[in-house]
Amino acid sequence: MGSVKIFWKSNCSKCPSAKSVGSILEEEGIKVAIFDLDTVNGLAEGAYYSVMATPTMIIEDEESNQIADFRGTVPTAQEVQKLIGRYYQ
Amino acid sequence: MNTLRGIDVHNKARMDEETTDMALFVRTSKEDLLDWKRQRIVDALVKETLIDIDTAEEISKEVEIQIIDYQIKVVTAPLIRELVDAKLIERGLEQARKMHTRLGVPLYDVDQLILNPNKENANVPHGPEATNLTLAEMIKKEYALLNVFSQEIGDAHMHGDIHIHDLGFIDRPYCSGQSLEYIKRFGLNLPNSLSIAKPAKHPEVLLAHMVKFAAALQSNFAGAIGWDAVNLFFAPYLVGLRDEEVRQLAQMLVFEFSQQAVARGGQAIFTDINLYWEIPKHFEDVPAIGPGGTYTGKPYGYYLEEAQRFVWFLFDVFKEGDGVGRPFFFPKPLVHITEKFFQTEGHEAFLNHICDIASEKGNTYFVFDRGDTAKISECCRLSFKLEDSDLEDAKEPWKMRYTALQNITLNLPRMGYLAKGDDTKLYSNISDFMEMAVQAHLQKKAFIEKLLSLKEKGPLALLTMDKDGSPYLRMHRATYLIGMLGLNELVKIHTGEELDHSETALKFGLKIIAHMKLLVDKFTKKHGMRFVLEQTPAESTAYRFAKLDLRYHSPESGHIVKGDISKVEVYYTNSTYLPVSSRMNPIERVRKEGLFHPLIEAGALTHIWLGEARPSKESLANLVTKTFKRTLNDQIAFSPEFTTCSSCGKTARGLMEKCRYCGSGEVEGITRITGYFTKTSSWNKGKIGELHERFRNQGFFKDGESDIINIRQKSH
Ligand SMILES: [Zn+2]
Repeated sequence: MGSVKIFWKSNCSKCPSAKSVGSILEEEGIKVAIFDLDTVNGLAEGAYYSVMATPTMIIEDEESNQIADFRGTVPTAQEVQKLIGRYYQ
Repeated sequence: MNTLRGIDVHNKARMDEETTDMALFVRTSKEDLLDWKRQRIVDALVKETLIDIDTAEEISKEVEIQIIDYQIKVVTAPLIRELVDAKLIERGLEQARKMHTRLGVPLYDVDQLILNPNKENANVPHGPEATNLTLAEMIKKEYALLNVFSQEIGDAHMHGDIHIHDLGFIDRPYCSGQSLEYIKRFGLNLPNSLSIAKPAKHPEVLLAHMVKFAAALQSNFAGAIGWDAVNLFFAPYLVGLRDEEVRQLAQMLVFEFSQQAVARGGQAIFTDINLYWEIPKHFEDVPAIGPGGTYTGKPYGYYLEEAQRFVWFLFDVFKEGDGVGRPFFFPKPLVHITEKFFQTEGHEAFLNHICDIASEKGNTYFVFDRGDTAKISECCRLSFKLEDSDLEDAKEPWKMRYTALQNITLNLPRMGYLAKGDDTKLYSNISDFMEMAVQAHLQKKAFIEKLLSLKEKGPLALLTMDKDGSPYLRMHRATYLIGMLGLNELVKIHTGEELDHSETALKFGLKIIAHMKLLVDKFTKKHGMRFVLEQTPAESTAYRFAKLDLRYHSPESGHIVKGDISKVEVYYTNSTYLPVSSRMNPIERVRKEGLFHPLIEAGALTHIWLGEARPSKESLANLVTKTFKRTLNDQIAFSPEFTTCSSCGKTARGLMEKCRYCGSGEVEGITRITGYFTKTSSWNKGKIGELHERFRNQGFFKDGESDIINIRQKSH
């Protein structure tokens, strides 16, 4: 059903809104993982996904194929749901 | 030789005058024979150590008795010193013994050294100058370990937990980056030099100044000397010159820096020249300095055509190679690929041109500066976002002088052996090793600052010269490099898999480096010094660590080290590279290795070994463009292999036992060792082991060109 990875940093102004989009999606039953880039796990995962801007949101299917990504911008929860919906049509 | 110097100076009154006349002569290192005088031992002990005079007297008497008893015919100063040291040890005076140590080299070693080539650094040719350099290095190395670094740090180096690079150059900073603007503006006016040259009026004179200044810098730095935007800063001198003249100048520049045996220890100056097809954004509006060191009245943006002509001809020279068609080893041309590069007219043709040389001779380094970052031209190619203060300095580009003060490399596999599979232990080992590296940096920094404080009377006078309101060496912008070696092997020890085996292994590798990155940031804050991670070129360290781990961590290490153990051709994989033998296609290697690059601010690079293959320039240009646009890889270089024949003088593609043209066995292999080309005969055993295992991508480039074009862009 798709999953969402959100990368954030403490000094980033748009990150809180990305995280709140994350909680909406989670309530809708989508798997959301949140990574703090100031931690070892977050930074390593961020490097793996070539995260160079915050916030970054990566949307994947079950096989970890990328469906879409938002780098430095924050989509609405509806946009993300639509993208996932279209992917699984 | 201090024991025998300054006789009868100290404590004459207290000296008991029962000096034995043993008719014994002492051979000193001052080329003379001195009569035996026990007092000299006392004097040396009092002068060099902190022990009391009575103990010194006692020791001197005991040693005298020993010498008489042994009936030694020729007593040498080192022998006396060793006998004295033995007495110090008997009394438990460890510190005094250390202070009284003699630094030197065994006769056998000197003999070997004079007769045989040095394999520590393939950039040192064999000859009397090189021997001088090596001998001096040996003594300075011992000096550094005894007198600059603490016992703990010295031991960590000797055991191979960490490697302190260039210990033989302890009294110099590591590397330097600058631009031509300094000598264009101030001429050549170096401390202690015999004559002073005003700013150059002609391009050939500017080149001569550049070469001389580079040599002066080489004798003050341990490692590479980098020059920023060379083609751009030459440009105001090239206005109105015919193509033939510019071509000639390009040729002179390359030949001047490629000639061996002219500088320190017969070692070529390790020179990086940074080049741009476009006018870099931060120099566009900067007032240009022209002939005579005066402003031309135009900004650098005006000189695009001259800058482009010059860089084009420089690559023509690289394409031809030296007198017999071999690739030039130095200078190394680094072309910066930026967003603006792709917006600058003629970039397709230029990219094909430099890719042609990359395929043909291998010289070109492709340096990727994405977004607002710029790579500063040091040996370590430190990349950072230009801060406001840098952009301010860029308006007066002679101020853009950067240095890395020292480089310390960590033995990552060692941390793995010690952790025995325990995650917590592994992470705490990393922290401990990093802490040791930081301590080593602090100790080296204190030593260099001591030398710099002596100003123009000191050994680093050149670096303290002040022509623009700050010393040449800008300590406040210095960086402190922490390198890593053998991530691939560490991951194997800890998880059982090498980096290229699975995404899990790759992610674990990223975690290790992420941990290190967060730690250097922490240390930077704590000490107010700029610590950065570096991909150490590790020419001999890869061999050294592997050998030491075979000694201290067998049998486990026997399954881990790469290469051929039976021939001791062993090594660890450099920095965060995937195994050199991995048979992955080049774009995949570039992408995967590039995942580490944003965490490593200095010197990150992916090598693509070509072997005999000679891919089309278009296919390389395609790979370069994709690398810029679709990966975060910082830098790539393609490395072909050559065989050069001393019988017929021809150079062929590939590494062969016999000359392809005349069949002679008098051949030498040439390829890239780490960051530069050299003859394989000069390589250390570890690198030879690596050379055998390098996967050469030949099939890929022969019939795989469509693969490059059609490579599927995976999301991760
Ligand atoms: Zn031949």
